[in-house]
Amino acid sequence: MRMPRNARAIAAAVAVALLVAAPFGLKPYGIYLLSLWAVMTIAAIGLNLTLGYAGQISLAQAAFVGIGAYTAALLTTQGWPLWSAFLLATGLCLVVGWLLGYPALRVQHHYLAFVTLSFATLVFLMLRNEEWLTKGVYGISGIPRPTLLGWSTKAPLDFYFFCLGVLALVSAAAWWLIRSPWGRAFTALRENPIRADSLGVDTRRYTLMAFAIGSALGGIAGVMYAPLVQFIEPTAFALNLSLNLLLMVMVGGSGYFLGPFLGAAVSVLLPEWLRFSEGLYLILYAMFVMILMAFCPSGLLGLAERLRKPSR
Amino acid sequence: MKAEWIGAVAGGMLALCAASAQAQQTVNMPIVIELSGAGAVSGTNFRDGAVIAIDEINAKGGILGRRISAPQSDTQSNPGVSRAQVQKAIDGNPYVILGPVFSGSVKVNMVLAQQAEVPQFTGAEAADITQMGNDYIFRTSFGQQMSMPKIANYIRDRLKAKSVAILWVNNDFGKGGRDTFSKEMAARNIKVIADVSTESGQVDFAADVVKIKGANADAIFVYTNEEESARFLREARKQGVKAPLIGETTLLGQKVIELAGEAANGAKGHVGLTVDAPIPAVQAFRDKFQKRFNYLPDHNGIKGYTAVYAVKHATEKIGSFDRKLLAKTMKGLTIKPEQEPGILMEATWDAKGDIDRISFLAEVVDGKQKIVTILPKLGK
Repeated sequence: MRMPRNARAIAAAVAVALLVAAPFGLKPYGIYLLSLWAVMTIAAIGLNLTLGYAGQISLAQAAFVGIGAYTAALLTTQGWPLWSAFLLATGLCLVVGWLLGYPALRVQHHYLAFVTLSFATLVFLMLRNEEWLTKGVYGISGIPRPTLLGWSTKAPLDFYFFCLGVLALVSAAAWWLIRSPWGRAFTALRENPIRADSLGVDTRRYTLMAFAIGSALGGIAGVMYAPLVQFIEPTAFALNLSLNLLLMVMVGGSGYFLGPFLGAAVSVLLPEWLRFSEGLYLILYAMFVMILMAFCPSGLLGLAERLRKPSR
Repeated sequence: MKAEWIGAVAGGMLALCAASAQAQQTVNMPIVIELSGAGAVSGTNFRDGAVIAIDEINAKGGILGRRISAPQSDTQSNPGVSRAQVQKAIDGNPYVILGPVFSGSVKVNMVLAQQAEVPQFTGAEAADITQMGNDYIFRTSFGQQMSMPKIANYIRDRLKAKSVAILWVNNDFGKGGRDTFSKEMAARNIKVIADVSTESGQVDFAADVVKIKGANADAIFVYTNEEESARFLREARKQGVKAPLIGETTLLGQKVIELAGEAANGAKGHVGLTVDAPIPAVQAFRDKFQKRFNYLPDHNGIKGYTAVYAVKHATEKIGSFDRKLLAKTMKGLTIKPEQEPGILMEATWDAKGDIDRISFLAEVVDGKQKIVTILPKLGK
């Protein structure tokens, strides 16, 4: 059951207005969290394409965020503009993501999770041990924030709007993709690969594409992450982040367009919100996630849909 | 689909409420520290030490008549989270920031404190922290560039070792220590014949001990965080390693002895700070701490405690709460226990924010840290 078109447009306009208005009245800490939310949402949108729409589980998303972040850090600290990092990181992640898709042609589900897990570990070790390039565990500091057409994004508020702008572009692209024949092919792949194959969908190509595009979005998130935190080191892109991104997709609602937005809000903002409980905040957060997953495995949006059904 | 949009709007509202402003009448000294994750042991010690000092000072009327308020925030031992928490601390217009302990976290957030001109008292020991030209960072314990030469001398002069094996944790703390130590070894013509890197949070050290044992070095230098040190010590005892195990505070600390039990006996080395120091004020602090929190503090407890008293002393010297002036005053400042008993041991800060104090050579004997020699301050 869909909302009427104009109601949806109004809801979207309200959401955008809220996001634009949100940082005013917030201190830099709040703005930083909102920016982090925007960046994590981009990475989660990527994973949602791979996992939620195409049904390919991946524990490697953090590795792509890492590749993006290191590309941005290495290029911009050498005086290159950030857009060059966007181009390079997106290209790099597309290619690597495509290659990582090959194992997905042979294995599925938890086997695929293990394959992608190995890849993530490989990237982490590379970031840590190839010191000549990445500076290893010492990390890269002093990553500058970009200036776009004379607009400096150095201040927290400016950088937030930059993040929001990129998020808007990525969301629009994802929205279009999901509704394009490609998106429908992704869903067909998830629901019934054999049937999709029999209908002439090139499952092989679409599997690879789902990985490549999802990974590229991870790379874009990484390119944003580096100037946001202004310091990166390998552990930020270890398994923890992959699991966290997976959590964002699942909690928000895997396979829902808005799932990553909500999931990232829960993952980034909720623990901060619960800090009033001091020592208990991580326990409360974990309990919330456990209860949600136990009673509603389809995530917050799945829950919302279920609650709506009886009224119909 | 409608529900999906309602969800999105709700998410936006959640974001709106993400930060809260906090009014203040007191002097604000937020503690941003590792209370969960890999650094929880160190962070909790630092926090508890600071809390004791703050309560003592508040009970006596505060600093210049103002009570200290010290909101605590947990960095989860994660540099990204620590950046957010330091930003939150800065938004609250703090006088100083206490913490964090993990070097990686400090490197992320010290730039923020510098930009906001807030002095930051850290428990981190990585060598490069005070070498980045940041005027607002102050250590509460030796950096590696201070402690490694002392260990190197110990290995050369006391153990007369010609070769060493190094076991280190592959994070910026361990790597920094290992790099500094290797340089000091090269300068003293002592060969490093095994160089074993381990993981933060590693549980099984069997393979590493086999490697180290096989190298047959005259001494083994162990540089990992506390919990890993304890696990290593247990494994080394199990495999009957005979060479002396040498380390820093993270090998000889109270927490390590508690976790490793009997296996800690025989470990020796250099400790910058220890609650077993033969100094009455330090021992009194230890007893006070143990009575209140029901566990024995390690060096991080002293770091937190003395940091607060250093701020108190310097502020009273200035006579006002001026952050910039505090940072300037700390440079080259020497605080003696006669002037400020809470400092426990005489301490001097140099122009980079490094601290100089007496330190100790120690050994673990019968489950206790025994101080063998007191080393004078470097500046003497």
